[in-house]
Amino acid sequence: MLTVKNLTKSYEAAHGTVHALSNVNFSVQTGQFASIIGKSGSGKSTLLSLLGALDTPTEGEILVDDADIAKLSGAKQTTYRAHKIGFVFQQYNLIPNLSAIENVMLALEFGGMKSGSKRHKRAQELLLGVGLSDDEQLRKPARLSGGQQQRVSIARALANRPAIILADEPTGNLDSETGKKIFKLLHDLTRKENTTIIAVTHDLDIAGKTDRTFLLKDGTLTLQ
Amino acid sequence: MNVITRGMRGALRSPVRSGAIIAMLAISIGLILAMLVARASVNAKISEVKATTATALTINPAGIQGGMGGGDPLTADQVKTIRNTAHISSVSAILTDQLGTTDTNLTPSFELGSFGKRMMRFDSGSSTGPSTNISGNADGNTEAKTPPAPRTSVTGTTNPSSITPSDKLTSGAMIDGNSSDKVALIGKSLADKNSLSVGSTFTAYGQTITVKGIFSVDNAFENNGIIVPLATLQTLTAQPGAVTNIAATVDSSDNVSSTVASLKKSLGDKADVTSQEEEAASSLAPLESIAGLALAGVIGASIAGATIVLLAMIMVVRERRREIGVIKAIGGSNAKVISQFMTEGMTLTVIGGIIGIVLGIAVSGPMTQSLVSSSKDGAPTNGQQGGPTSGSNKPAVFLRSARTQLTTNVNNVTSTLTPQTVVISIGIVALIAIIGSAVPAWAIARVRPAEVLRTE
Repeated sequence: MLTVKNLTKSYEAAHGTVHALSNVNFSVQTGQFASIIGKSGSGKSTLLSLLGALDTPTEGEILVDDADIAKLSGAKQTTYRAHKIGFVFQQYNLIPNLSAIENVMLALEFGGMKSGSKRHKRAQELLLGVGLSDDEQLRKPARLSGGQQQRVSIARALANRPAIILADEPTGNLDSETGKKIFKLLHDLTRKENTTIIAVTHDLDIAGKTDRTFLLKDGTLTLQ
Repeated sequence: MNVITRGMRGALRSPVRSGAIIAMLAISIGLILAMLVARASVNAKISEVKATTATALTINPAGIQGGMGGGDPLTADQVKTIRNTAHISSVSAILTDQLGTTDTNLTPSFELGSFGKRMMRFDSGSSTGPSTNISGNADGNTEAKTPPAPRTSVTGTTNPSSITPSDKLTSGAMIDGNSSDKVALIGKSLADKNSLSVGSTFTAYGQTITVKGIFSVDNAFENNGIIVPLATLQTLTAQPGAVTNIAATVDSSDNVSSTVASLKKSLGDKADVTSQEEEAASSLAPLESIAGLALAGVIGASIAGATIVLLAMIMVVRERRREIGVIKAIGGSNAKVISQFMTEGMTLTVIGGIIGIVLGIAVSGPMTQSLVSSSKDGAPTNGQQGGPTSGSNKPAVFLRSARTQLTTNVNNVTSTLTPQTVVISIGIVALIAIIGSAVPAWAIARVRPAEVLRTE
C-alpha cells in the first residue's frame, strides 16, 4: 500500500519560490491502477519523481509498506528503486547500445540477480510476455518500433517484480491503436502480478479505465 | 553482461570518435615511452661516464697542454711528489717530443700542407730541406728561408697500452713502458712509408731503435707516430726525469677534491691539475639537458594524454546524462555507473596505450639518436689538441686527449628499452586513465535521476 501525507515540493527559481506540489494527500491500495491527469506544469512529473525516490520532498511523507522513502539514505533509495519501483517512460529511455534483452537484463542485474543465465531466462520470459519474438529481443532499440520499445520498457519495469510501477505518459508517443494495446498490456500484466500502478496521462479515455483517477492542478491533488 | 563488458562496449560505441581519441592517446603514450627511453639511455650514459671519470686527474706542466704551449716539463721530484700524494693510487707519465729530419732517418707519412706551414709561420727556419719563400710570414719578411718539413711525433710513456691498446697492434708485441730499452711501437702509415716491419731498426737522436710492434688506429696523425718507454725518451732527449703529462687516479671519488687541492698546493703554479670530473661535467652538460628535455616531454605528453581522456569522458558524460539518469532511475548505483564510465575511459586508454607502446618502441631509438645528435652539433669543440703541428717550438701532439676520448664516449649513446621503462610507461598510462576518468566520475555522481523525468 502506498500512502502520501502532506507532500509538498518547493524549489527556488529565478522569479522566486515555486510550489510544484502543495500538501498532497492520497493513498493507493496494492494492485490498484491509479491515474493522474493534469495540464503541463501541474506537477505530475514532480509527483512521480518523489514517489520513485528520484527526488526528495520539501515536506511530507511517502509511505510504502509503512516505510517513509523520503527519509531513506541515498544507498537505500537506490535499493528501493531497484526492488520496489518500475519505471515506464513516455520516451521509453532504453539504453541505445544494448539489445532489448540486454536492457531487461540490466534491470535484473541492478535487482541483485547474480546469475547471468537466470537473468537471460527471466528477460526472455518477460519479453515473450510483452510480445517480442526471439529475433526482436536481440535487436537494439533503434531497430524497434515505438510500440515495441515501449513493450521492452514495460518488461524492464516488471523485471524485478516491483510493488509499484510508475508510468509517465506511457502511451504519449504512440498512435491511438498502439496506445490502447500498450495500456491493455500494462493493465493485464500488473493485474497478473498484483502490482500497483500509478500512471500520469493526458488521455482521459485511458484514465477512465483505471481504478482511481486523480486530478493535479497547480500542485494540488483532488480525487475525481 | 557485467559492468566491465558494458563499459568496454560503450567505449567503442562510436567507432570514428573512439578511433580519433585512441589515435591521439597512442601518439601521446608513444611520445611518453620514447622520451622515457631517451631519458633512461642518457642517464645510463651519464652514470657510466661519471663512474669512469670520477677518480681521474690530469696534471700538465704550467703552460703546456698536449703538445702545445711553452714552459718547463715536470721534474722527477715533482713526479715523485705526485706519486706520494695521499689517495693517489696510480700514475701514468708521458713525455712528448718531435723528430725533425735531422733527428731521424724516417720520412713522415703525410705532407706538411698549408695547415702545417701556417702552424710554423713564426719559425726562424728549419735545418732541413731546400730554401724557399713562405708567404704569410708574420713579420712580412720575404727573405729566403729553409722551408720546414713535417715532423714525427714521439711519445714516451710508462703505460703504452693507455695510448694504444694491444688490440690495435697489427703486428709485433707491446713494449714495457718502465724499461729503458731502445724499442718502439710505430704507426702503420709511418711503417709503410719507411718500409719498416717488426724487428726493423731506424735511427732517432743518433741512436738505433728497434721496432717491436706496429699499430693502426683511426687517426692519420697518430698513425705517423712513435711510442717508446718513458725512460728511453728521457735519455734520448737528454731530459732526465722530464714529464709533459701525468694521468693519475684517486682511490675514491670522495677524495678527488681534497687530492686536487693537495696537489695544487704542493705543485704551486708549476702545474695545472685538472679533475676529469670537472671535464666530464662540462662534457655531460648537453646530455643532462637532453635528460631534462625528455623529462619535460614525459610530463607534457602525460598531461596531454590525461587531458584527452578527461575531455573525451566529459563529452561522453554530457551527451549521456539522460542515459545516466535512466540507469540510476532503474536502480543502478552511483558506483555501478561510475565503474561503467571509468571502464570506458580505461578501455580507450589501454587500447591507446598498447598502440602507443608499440609506436614508442619503434621511434625511441631514432628519437634518442636525434636528440643526442642535435646536442652534439651544439656542443663546444675541444680546441687544438691533437692537431698536426710541426714547428720546432710546437711539439707534435700524439696523445689523444682524455677530453676527446670523453666526448667520443659521451656522444656514443645507445637507446635501450628496459623492462623498468616499460613498467613506468604502463604506470603512467594507468595514471592517465585514472586522472582522465576521475573528474567525469565526479560529474556522473552529480547527475540526478530526476532529470530523466524532467526532460520527458
